[in-house]
Amino acid sequence: MANKAKKTEHIVDFTYLNDRKRNITLKKEYSRQKQNSLAARLSAGDPKAASELVDMYYQQIYLYMRRLGHDRQISEDLTQESFLNAWRYISQLRDGKALNGWLYRIASNTSKLYWRKHREVSGIEDIEVSDHNSTYEKVGHNEELEFLKNAVARLPMKLRQTIILHYMQQLTIAEAAEAEGIREGTFKSRLNRALKLLRKQAIRKGSLS
Amino acid sequence: MKEEKFKELLNELGRHTTEEVSPDLCEEIKQNIPSRLPRHKINWDTISIIIDLRMSKSIAAAVIIISVILMLNWLGGRDPVGRDIFQDGMLFLEYWRDGAFDIASSKLKYQHLLRQGHDVIWYGDNVNQKDPNAVLFQYRLPDGTYEVTFVDGHAKKVTPEELVVLLARMVNKMK
Repeated sequence: MANKAKKTEHIVDFTYLNDRKRNITLKKEYSRQKQNSLAARLSAGDPKAASELVDMYYQQIYLYMRRLGHDRQISEDLTQESFLNAWRYISQLRDGKALNGWLYRIASNTSKLYWRKHREVSGIEDIEVSDHNSTYEKVGHNEELEFLKNAVARLPMKLRQTIILHYMQQLTIAEAAEAEGIREGTFKSRLNRALKLLRKQAIRKGSLS
Repeated sequence: MKEEKFKELLNELGRHTTEEVSPDLCEEIKQNIPSRLPRHKINWDTISIIIDLRMSKSIAAAVIIISVILMLNWLGGRDPVGRDIFQDGMLFLEYWRDGAFDIASSKLKYQHLLRQGHDVIWYGDNVNQKDPNAVLFQYRLPDGTYEVTFVDGHAKKVTPEELVVLLARMVNKMK
């Protein structure tokens, strides 16, 4: 009887996993189609599509600026400037597949231009690691995250950007490479170098288990 | 530390390094949306995009040159749908694909040296173009050494003994 109950439990678990997988695939497909339609409408010059683009991306671009080390005010300004540039270069948008890469590339260039102009006067302001885990056993984990955040901040800008784009902004390799304006192979090699450096720092510090 | 856990931590860092974004920001950005967005049209941007399609530079150059040839043919009053353009285009492609550019430019250099009265010998008509060590021509320098130019266009200064070895190797391969 007990065995039968266990068996049923497993079947239920499998169904749950299958549903989850299907949901993720459906979500991805929906998001892809939405991006395609948005890109097509943007290329056709539809201002409503522009408004949707802002709704979809303004938080992402703001956080990208923050993660690149700009302070709150500058990040807001650079987010605005990124969208202004996006309206200007909208004719360069090819299709929905390229939407992420295109917008992030504009944002990256906006940030780079800012650093170039204000290298001397502006410092890097770190975004805080939010402490959702207050239980005792999670304290060590938060310390690991804090260490990792500082290690990422110490990376050279090019390597840091690869980590931010791929892991923190959740862009695919192809999108992140497009955002950086480099080939996928180059991006992968930069990503590997960045991971190697981070691992080295972790080993030296001995802070990550 | 396992690589997977390391990557998982980095993903988690993304979820944790986040903060509230001012809701006014969204409205401010929307206020700056121009009433008429520029539509996509074929212009220099389009050309940039084509080049941005990760085409190799040589292919891009070939495309531009073919376009120029076609344009010149057309402006020259030749039949735009006739065989001339097609044949020129095919000839050009064949020429470009076989690395004939290097041989042609080397031949020009050889002819120039010959006209100036230098001691040069051309082997290019009989060489195996797929052999990178095949010598196209030799040029005797005033100090008694030789400059040899290879099939791929690169040149090297060699002694008479080295030249003999190079030529012997080339002849052996041709047999």
